[in-house]
Amino acid sequence: MKLDRRGVLKALTAIPVVGALIAVLSPLFRFLKPNDKPWGIFTITPDLPQGGAQVVGKVSQLAKPWDSFYFTYVQKFVQYTPEGQEASNVPGVAIRLPKKVKFVNSEGFVGFEGETDIVLFSRICPHLGCIYNYVSDWHEVSAGYGGFRPPGFEEHALMACPCHFSIYDPEYPDNPGNVISGPAPRGARYFRFEVHGDDIVVTGAEVGAIAKCAPGAVAGAAAPPRET
Amino acid sequence: MEAVLANLREWYQDRKQRLDLWDETQTARQDNPMYILGGLVWLSWMIVIVSGIVLMLWYIPTTTGAYRSIEHITYDIPFGWAVRGLHKYGGDMLITCITLRIYRMYFAGEYKKPGELTWMILFSALVLAMISGVTGYTLEWNQRAFWAAKVILTVPTYYDDIPLIGNLGLGHAIAYIFLGGPALGQGTLTRFYSIHFGISIVLAIVAETWFYRTRRRRLNVSAFVIVLVLAFLAFVSFINLPDLGQWANNNRTPLPVLSDWYFLALYQVVKYMPPLWAGVAPALLIGYGMLVPFLDRTKETLPTRRPFFFVVGLLALIYWIGFSALIMLNIAVISRDPPYIWGITVIVLFAALLWELAYRRRQAQRAAAAAAAPAGASRPAPRPAAS
Repeated sequence: MKLDRRGVLKALTAIPVVGALIAVLSPLFRFLKPNDKPWGIFTITPDLPQGGAQVVGKVSQLAKPWDSFYFTYVQKFVQYTPEGQEASNVPGVAIRLPKKVKFVNSEGFVGFEGETDIVLFSRICPHLGCIYNYVSDWHEVSAGYGGFRPPGFEEHALMACPCHFSIYDPEYPDNPGNVISGPAPRGARYFRFEVHGDDIVVTGAEVGAIAKCAPGAVAGAAAPPRET
Repeated sequence: MEAVLANLREWYQDRKQRLDLWDETQTARQDNPMYILGGLVWLSWMIVIVSGIVLMLWYIPTTTGAYRSIEHITYDIPFGWAVRGLHKYGGDMLITCITLRIYRMYFAGEYKKPGELTWMILFSALVLAMISGVTGYTLEWNQRAFWAAKVILTVPTYYDDIPLIGNLGLGHAIAYIFLGGPALGQGTLTRFYSIHFGISIVLAIVAETWFYRTRRRRLNVSAFVIVLVLAFLAFVSFINLPDLGQWANNNRTPLPVLSDWYFLALYQVVKYMPPLWAGVAPALLIGYGMLVPFLDRTKETLPTRRPFFFVVGLLALIYWIGFSALIMLNIAVISRDPPYIWGITVIVLFAALLWELAYRRRQAQRAAAAAAAPAGASRPAPRPAAS
């Protein structure tokens, strides 16, 4: 392309045309993703799910080491539908570990202040979002999840995902719930919880339940506590 | 610049003239059933469109109504099972025919000049058919559909982890746009319904315009074949109507959980790779497919005369079958398998490269020998000036 007078004039005329194109396309994107502010399509608007405080179970349900129970923590997600929102369950598992640990993961999310032998994991796999299972006998993990055999010190209850066979160790040293096999890029996500008497109260969940978000963010923390 | 554009335009005009999408008149080989695939693609596509429009009369695109409405279609509506079976197996046939035709074109070297544009359109058609497939089976709102959709739409979020580019939020934007929010729900179902219908209807209009302007035949196969296909699809639907499975449950992922058959191999690959790579690898594969006519630049069409690209195609075929078999047998030791797979891939590709080089060297020697031989002997007769 030559840069003579005609070329320069052509380039100048192109600017408003391109500008108009972008102006037309931007609202089109917002038609598909209405929660964005104008021009905000490429900035992250996580649409953080809201949950509040919910009692999910009793400490007495976890009497012995490796006792566990499943629970669901209900959060509201934004949905681009006439209702605008949709309540969604975040399935979780509560586990009694044989010894007390610091319930803080390598992403820096603090699940419990101080040491605890009760840990609460979000069962939404950090890999691609399937729901993983708590498998109390590791032999079942070897049989059903592709043939993984844990090393000796991990021959205890594990958590394993049916979709792509990511396997998590709830008792992993210094990072409970870390991934020990499979394609997941990080360990299992945590719930933030408190213990009030016999009640286990979840006050928030690590963000990334459905589509993963920035590490360390807390969902539901800002929402007013909800009576359950 | 202008010369390049003119060349491109000329290339495009020429290849457009010689498009051979449906009637296969450019390569007409009546003795070989692999050469009615073009017509079968169109036939199965039309079966899918017509049966799909009939299904729309009864289908309810809501998370609460979808599953029930398909049950209703299958078991209550007279001949509902036949319509649903034709739609399902017609779609399977469409993807089978496109895949077979892609392999045929690959191994027979038909993607070479002047078939480049035909090949590229066909390859895009496979991608679009697979998108139609995944958006279509999500409409059943059963467990398999739910988890397949969730897995597929979580993959784009990893695009925000691509190094050097930084987190632009684009990956999340893609996921949110298709999910209709951050979670899989009613928004997703509605959007998938729109995409599923939209792809076929827009392409059908484009195809009809092309038929109208070129007067090419839509269905260059005999009535016998058409009746045979219809009877076969109806028979398969009658004896083996696909099971609806269980209603989608976002609290429980079944074990094992499988996708539709054409995604099985990819599903297994996702187990072996870090998630970002699992998102990038299919894109690279599509990129390779689209560009292969320009990478394989020799004029040879016989597989043994272009060894490298032959082996790449063969490897792709073997992996596709092998990975599908592994996932059905539920074998995937992620800490053990990937080095073997990488090892085999690298060794085979390296061997293919050696084969290619050896073949080319032999060709060069032969050419040199042919050129050298007449010099000592009698001179060849002079050629006509203009040939």
